[in-house]
Amino acid sequence: MPGVTLRGLTKRYGGVAAVDNLLLEVKPRELVALLGPSGCGKTTTLRLVAGFLTPEAGEIWVGERCLSSATAVVPPERRRMAMIFQSYALWPHLTVAQNVGYGLRFKRGMTRTDRDRRVSEMLRVVQLDGFQARYPSQLSGGQQQRVAVARALVVEPEILLLDEPLSNLDANLREEMRFEIRRLHETFGITTLYVTHDQAEAMVISDRIAVLDRGRVAQVGSAEEIFQQPRTRFVADFIGRTNLVDAVAATPDAVTRGALRLRVASADLTPGARVSVSIRPHEIAFATSTEGHAGDNVVSGRVRRVSYLGDAVDYQVELADSDVVLRVAAAPVLRLRAGEAVRLTIPPSACVPLPE
Amino acid sequence: MPSSVVRSTFDRSVPVWITTAVTLVLLMILPLGWLAWVSVSSEQGTTFANYVQVFGDPHLQKALWNTIVLAFWVGAASLAVGVPMAWLTGRTDLPGKRLIRALIMASFVTPPFLGAFAWVMLAGPNAGLLNKVYRGLTASDEPLMNIFTMSGLVFVVTLYSFPYVYIMIVNTLELIASDLEEAGAILGASRLRVALTITLPLALPAIISGFILAVLQALALFGSPAILALPAGFHTITTQIWTFFQYPPKVEQAAAFSIPLLLATALLLQLQKRLLGRRGYAGVGGKTGARRPIPLGRWRWAALAGVFAVLACTIVLPYAILAKAAFAKAWAQPLSWDNLTLANFTFTFFEYSATRDAIINTLELGIVTATVGAVMAALLAYVTNRRLVPGHQALGFLAVAPVVIPGVVLAVGLFIAYTRPPLVLYGTLAILFVAYLTKELPVGYAQADTTFKGVHPELEEAGRILGAGRLRVLREITAPLARSGIIATWCFVFIGVIRELSASIILFTPATKVISVVIFDLKEEGQFAAISVLGLFMLAMTFGIVLLMQTALGRDFLGAKD
Repeated sequence: MPGVTLRGLTKRYGGVAAVDNLLLEVKPRELVALLGPSGCGKTTTLRLVAGFLTPEAGEIWVGERCLSSATAVVPPERRRMAMIFQSYALWPHLTVAQNVGYGLRFKRGMTRTDRDRRVSEMLRVVQLDGFQARYPSQLSGGQQQRVAVARALVVEPEILLLDEPLSNLDANLREEMRFEIRRLHETFGITTLYVTHDQAEAMVISDRIAVLDRGRVAQVGSAEEIFQQPRTRFVADFIGRTNLVDAVAATPDAVTRGALRLRVASADLTPGARVSVSIRPHEIAFATSTEGHAGDNVVSGRVRRVSYLGDAVDYQVELADSDVVLRVAAAPVLRLRAGEAVRLTIPPSACVPLPE
Repeated sequence: MPSSVVRSTFDRSVPVWITTAVTLVLLMILPLGWLAWVSVSSEQGTTFANYVQVFGDPHLQKALWNTIVLAFWVGAASLAVGVPMAWLTGRTDLPGKRLIRALIMASFVTPPFLGAFAWVMLAGPNAGLLNKVYRGLTASDEPLMNIFTMSGLVFVVTLYSFPYVYIMIVNTLELIASDLEEAGAILGASRLRVALTITLPLALPAIISGFILAVLQALALFGSPAILALPAGFHTITTQIWTFFQYPPKVEQAAAFSIPLLLATALLLQLQKRLLGRRGYAGVGGKTGARRPIPLGRWRWAALAGVFAVLACTIVLPYAILAKAAFAKAWAQPLSWDNLTLANFTFTFFEYSATRDAIINTLELGIVTATVGAVMAALLAYVTNRRLVPGHQALGFLAVAPVVIPGVVLAVGLFIAYTRPPLVLYGTLAILFVAYLTKELPVGYAQADTTFKGVHPELEEAGRILGAGRLRVLREITAPLARSGIIATWCFVFIGVIRELSASIILFTPATKVISVVIFDLKEEGQFAAISVLGLFMLAMTFGIVLLMQTALGRDFLGAKD
C-alpha cells in the first residue's frame, strides 16, 4: 500500500493561485484530512490528485509512481484511485449493483461471476445487501452515501479520495457515518485523503489533519497537536474557539499588553517582537482563593456577560486595567453573575505564542 | 522506473475551432457579409445610394411605419393577454389550469400563417363565417370585423405571440416564493397592494422582456402580414423585402432594407438580455417555498370565461374552420352530410403533384436539419459546458448569435451569398437546409445546453477515476443521461423547420418547394380546401412531435413539471 507525496503543487485560476506550492506527505495506510474554510484550496488539491485538473507546477507521487510532473500527466482512469463525491455522483440510469460493479469492469482477468460476488460482498459490508436491483433514486440519502462508498472501495484502490462526502447528510446521520468511515478505513487500510471544512469531522476521522490556508498547508499534525500547539494564528483561530491576545514579547518566556503580563509556554521569544497568544477558553480557571498553582498567570477582571450552554457556562471577562476581554468556559456548577469581580488563573502552558 | 504517460502535445481544441469557424462562416458570416456589402454596392462602386433610395421612397417609409405600428401594438396586446393569463394560471385557484396550459402550448406551436389563414375564413369581410353569423343574427349589412386591416393583423399576430409573454411570466412567477408576498401581507399590505408593490416589480423584467419577444416576433413575421396586409393594400418590412424579389429582383434594395431590421432585432435582444441578466435582484432563485394559490372567489368563473375566450380565438375557432374546410366540399357552406368529403385529402396527398413534392421536401429537410442541428448543438453544448477548449464562452455565444437574424433577412443574405461561386446552392434544397440550420441552431443549442447543465460533471468524473476513459464515459454515462434532452433538441429543430415560411418564401425554386410555401401559393389560387388539409397535416405532425418530446422529457415543454 503506497503513500502519497505532493511536491510544490501549484494551480492558478486567472493569475490567482488556488493551490500555491503545496507540500504534503501522506504515509501508507494513513488517513489525512485536508481541512480549511471554503476557498482554501482543499478541493482543488483533491482534484489535482485525482487528475481532473492539471497543475501548473509540482509533482504528485504515489509510492514510486509519478502521476503528475512538468513532463507527464497520468489521466484519472489510470491512477488506480477511487473517489467519493460530495454529490455522491451515483449514475441514475444504473442500478445499485451496476453502479458498484462499474469500476470492476476495468480489472483484467475478472469474470462476471467474480464481479457479482465482489459487489455482493461489498454491499454486505456497507449493509445494503439485497439492494442490488434498486435505482439510486429509490434510496435514502444515507443509503446513496453507502452505495458511493461501496463503489469506491470495491475496486480496491491504492488511494481513496473523499470530497466532503458527509455534507449532504442530516446531523445525526453525519455523526454515525463519521464512525462508519473510520471503521472502514481501519478494515481496509487504504491510504486516504479526506476533504472537509468540518473540524469535528476531521478530528474523528483522520490520523492526521492538514490545515490549509490560502492554497498552502498551514500545519500538519494529529488532532491533538493542531488543537494544543497551533503554529499560526490562522490555525489557532480556525480549530476550536480561542482567545487571541496581541502582545509584545518582554522576555523569552513572557509577553505584555499594557498592564497585562502573561508567562507563556515557549522560552525562545525575542524581546520586543510582536506576538499573538492563543488561550483556549477551557484552560482558564476562576481562582477561588488567592493561591493558584505556583507559576500560573493570575489576572483580575469583571464578568461582563454569562451564557448558559448546558454542559458548560460561557463567560466574557473584562480584564482590569486592560482592553482585553477573555472568554472563559467553566463547568456549570460554578455560577457567577454579570458584574461580579473575579480572578482568573491561566497556566503558562495554555498560553501558546504564535508568530505574526 | 516510474510508469507515466506523456502528456499529449496535440491541442485538441484545434479541430473543434476549425470546424466551428468554418461552419459559422458558411452559416452566418458569409451571408451577412454579402448582405452588408451588397447593400452599399452599385455598378459605380461603393455607395449609399441604395439606402437613400430605399429610405427616401414614401411607399417604403410607409412600410417601415406600418411595421413599427404593428410591432408596438402586438407587444402591447400580448402583454394585455399574456400577463393576466400567466398570473391566473400561475398564482390563483383558477380551474382547468392543465387544459389551459395545454391550449396555450398549442397556440405556441401553431404556425402563425396558418392561424392568419384560418382567420381569413373566419373574419373575411364577405365570406367570413363569423361575419355571416353576425349578419344573420342582426340583419346588418356591415361585417362584424374585417380581418384585412391593421387592427385585424394586430389581432391575429397577437394570438400567436402572446405565448412568449406568457411563458416568460409564468416561469418567473414560479420562481417568486410566496414568502416574499406573505412578508408583505404580514406587514399589513392588502392583496392588491401586495400584487402591485411586490409581485409586479419582481416580475417586471420578465414582463418587459416578454414584450420585447412579442415585438421581435411581429417584426420578423412574414406569413401573417402577407396573408392579411397585402390584400388590404399595405406592406410591412418583410413583405416589402419579399416584393423586391419579385421579377425583376432588386437585390441591392432588399439588402439595404434588411439592415435596419437586423440592427433593430440585435438591439432589442441585447436590451432583453440586459433586463434578464439583472433579475438576480428579484430574489428569484432563492429557496422557493411552497406556493399557496390565491383564491379568486366569485371572480373564478368570469376569469375562466375570459381565458377561454382568448383560447377560442387562438385554437378552437381556427382549428375548427380548418377542419371544416378540409372535410367539406365547399367550406363556406353549412356542415351537412352532403357537404362532407375526403376528396380534398386524396387530391392534396395523391393527385396534386406540387403538394406531394412539398411534403417530401419538408420531411426530408426536417429530418436532415433536425439531425445535423441536434448533433451540432449537442457537441457545442458539451464543449462549452465542460470547458473543453479555451475560449469556450465564445463558442456558446456564436451558437446563439443567429437568433438576431430575422428569417427574411437571413434569406436575403443566403440568396446573395449562394447564387454566386464558389458555392452555388440556390435552387437546391441545400440552401434551405443552411437557412433552417442557422435559424434553429440557437433554439437547439439552448435546449442542449440545459441538458448538459443537468448532467453533473461529477457523474463523469466518477467514471473516469474508476478506470473508464473519456470516450467510454461519454458513451456509457453522458450519452444515456443526455439522451432525452437531445431527443427534445431534435424535436425543437424539427418543429421549427416544418413551419418555416419567411426564409423559405425567398429561397425556394419550383423544384424545392416546401409545405409552407405551397400553402402560400395555394392561397393565391384560392385553394382553401387543400390549404386546410396541408395545415391539418402540419399540425398533426407538430403535435405528434410535441408528444414525443414530452414523453422524452417527462414534462411539458413550457417548463412545467407535472
